[in-house]
Amino acid sequence: MKTLIAISIITIVALALVPQLYFAHAQLAQQTSEKQYINLRAEVWNEFFRMTTAAFTVGAIVSGTMIWLVWRFRESNPKNKNPTKWEHLEDPTAGSYEDEGGH
Amino acid sequence: MGHDTAEWVFVAIVIAVLCYVGVDSWIVQKAVEDVPANAEVIKVTGQQWYWSFEHADGTKEISTLHVKKGHAYVFEIYSRDVMHSFNIPDWVVFEDAVPGHVNHAWFAPDTVGTYPIQCREYCGLLHYNMRGSLVVEDDNAT
Amino acid sequence: MVLELQKPRPVWQIMFSTHHTDVGYLYTITGLTFLFMGGVLAMIIRTHLFFPGEGVLISDSATFNRIFTVHGLTMLFLFALPVANGIGNYLVPIMVRYKDMAYPKLNAIAFWMNPVGGALLWLGFADTTWVSYAPYSIIRAPGPAADMFIFGMKILGISSILSSINFVVTILKCKHPDLPLRRVPLFAWSMFTVSLMTIVAMPTYAAALIMMLTDRLGISAFFNPFAGGDPIAYLHLFWFTFHPEVYIFLLPSIGMMYEIIPRFSRKPLYSQASGVFAFVMLGIIGFASWGHHMYSTGMDFTTKVVFMIGTLAAVPASGMHVFNFLATMWGGRIRFAAPMKFAVGGIALFFSAGAGGVLNSAMPLDFITHGTYWVVGHMHLFLVGTIGFGFVAMIYYMFPYITGRMYSERWASVHFVAMFWGTVQTFFTQHLLGLEGMPRRVYDYPPEFTSWTQLNQIATIGAWIIGASFAVFLASLIYYAAKGKPANMNDPWELGGKYYYPVEAKNPHGGHSGY
Repeated sequence: MKTLIAISIITIVALALVPQLYFAHAQLAQQTSEKQYINLRAEVWNEFFRMTTAAFTVGAIVSGTMIWLVWRFRESNPKNKNPTKWEHLEDPTAGSYEDEGGH
Repeated sequence: MGHDTAEWVFVAIVIAVLCYVGVDSWIVQKAVEDVPANAEVIKVTGQQWYWSFEHADGTKEISTLHVKKGHAYVFEIYSRDVMHSFNIPDWVVFEDAVPGHVNHAWFAPDTVGTYPIQCREYCGLLHYNMRGSLVVEDDNAT
Repeated sequence: MVLELQKPRPVWQIMFSTHHTDVGYLYTITGLTFLFMGGVLAMIIRTHLFFPGEGVLISDSATFNRIFTVHGLTMLFLFALPVANGIGNYLVPIMVRYKDMAYPKLNAIAFWMNPVGGALLWLGFADTTWVSYAPYSIIRAPGPAADMFIFGMKILGISSILSSINFVVTILKCKHPDLPLRRVPLFAWSMFTVSLMTIVAMPTYAAALIMMLTDRLGISAFFNPFAGGDPIAYLHLFWFTFHPEVYIFLLPSIGMMYEIIPRFSRKPLYSQASGVFAFVMLGIIGFASWGHHMYSTGMDFTTKVVFMIGTLAAVPASGMHVFNFLATMWGGRIRFAAPMKFAVGGIALFFSAGAGGVLNSAMPLDFITHGTYWVVGHMHLFLVGTIGFGFVAMIYYMFPYITGRMYSERWASVHFVAMFWGTVQTFFTQHLLGLEGMPRRVYDYPPEFTSWTQLNQIATIGAWIIGASFAVFLASLIYYAAKGKPANMNDPWELGGKYYYPVEAKNPHGGHSGY
């Protein structure tokens, strides 16, 4: 489990970094070709694209997780035939996550 | 792994992303707020419902602004009645015109052409039509 | 709890009742009425913007400006707040195990201010925009309309302060002694947080409204720059109230999702403590970020940085809510009945709106996004996507308990699919429209900007889809309240448990009939 989490974190970071490197490179190329002023419009739009890359990376992870959750834990999923361990309670939402279960 | 380890990891990742956003926008904002020292001043006055411009040499223009490619310009933005917002979307120039205040924005056009100028803060009846145009001309014309 | 449609009461008995379920019912019905009124205005606005050039539907910009102003005011103050208060009235006393709200008469008074305020806003039909920035609202906004707007907002503000006091006292003082505050269900916690926030934030706006009124009368010049005032002062006062107000609109809907998601996942909540913590954090940090609405007013770099940090600081707490929802669903056995569909759809849209919000808070992007359709898309993604979905989920959830009948799951699915599709199509497109540079609050745009025209038409079609979904909603609410199958009151969704919140089981006072 720990290695799984570690690997996924590293993957996320790597995924987020690759486009950043690309943009940084593009920005450097831009700056050398310029005469005297910073290109305000390019600076701001580059910032925008870096931010959207980050947002869409996080968004892909979160929405992927959500879609998987909805698919896996819907009650009609064959893997989900058996009641959860809280369902023997009068109110399943009043249970707890302690090992002994119950109220 | 305790019950909430996953949550701590999650919060740490979120905070890391936010730090990245904060630092990056700090750097960019610092860079774009730095007005070049040799920028020419253009006075921009917003009023219901048109823009007027006054160049450093005293030339006045209404609705259409002519500038030269390759020069830096700083706008001094005034308002004569209500709040407006001076905006040239294609050049990412944007600052409110607030009566009683003077605001600044700058840009250095590097391509020739005609670009729309608009008002981006609600200012009454003809807010939608408070449009002008920016004409960027080649420097060697003079 | 059940409004016994089988044993009908005369309508005046409900209207003059001070019982919390009756007041809650009135609040909810009023809120929904205004939702449909405001929705008609939205349809008019979007249909009008379908055709650039000469106004096809609305012939002059004055009418258009009035329509979008009243649309905004209606949706925020006459739909979002009353429905949150209505559901809160139903559930908070039950959740803290008390027989009623702490001050039943005050509760009824707070409700009856809403129709009065609403009447003032609708009869005045002001054109100041809902933010009513000085000096436009002082020196240019025409006649009685703007004054009626001021008085209407004043009354609605007092109403929300009164109901907030009521919620705070109910939760703190009338809570059952066996129930520690940290065990109070999270929906009650959300109402508690927003009530405290209202009490802190709202007086500032109330003061600003009075200052605006005296400015309009010409006997003071707080915000009038031509007599020595400063319009920026109004912006600060306004956003000091209304940035926290964003959370005041939002948190009840998050609280409703906390009620629904564990129930339909048949599983305890992942973490009560982190939900409480996130609510309180949002309640505090919500006050640290109002300046991000004012980056472009000539704010200096340092102030911008402070407000950017304040804005970003609110994000981890919102993220904790999303995490809590997803972790609750994880390992459950989820029944996707209508309330759960809307709650999960709401989480997805809440996340995307939040990601857009992080982009907004980055200072340089303000040049691109501020005052454009990006902002319209962003805040509607919150208001429709999160608040709207949460409230609709809760209304489906309460429907059997209120009417004693069951809604149609099939029509609810139609409603969900159409609403989700329409929300994504309309408001994501509006983000793009903002990036193209289209300013918000415009009556018309040049037809030669073809990208604006195309994106506007896509957004308008999406808005029609949302409108159609709400037509389905309205029709099915009315039809199934009268003709639906009688609900199994112990277990309307056949989840297998023996107990659901609105029924009496957790209530030590026994049945909650009350009348």
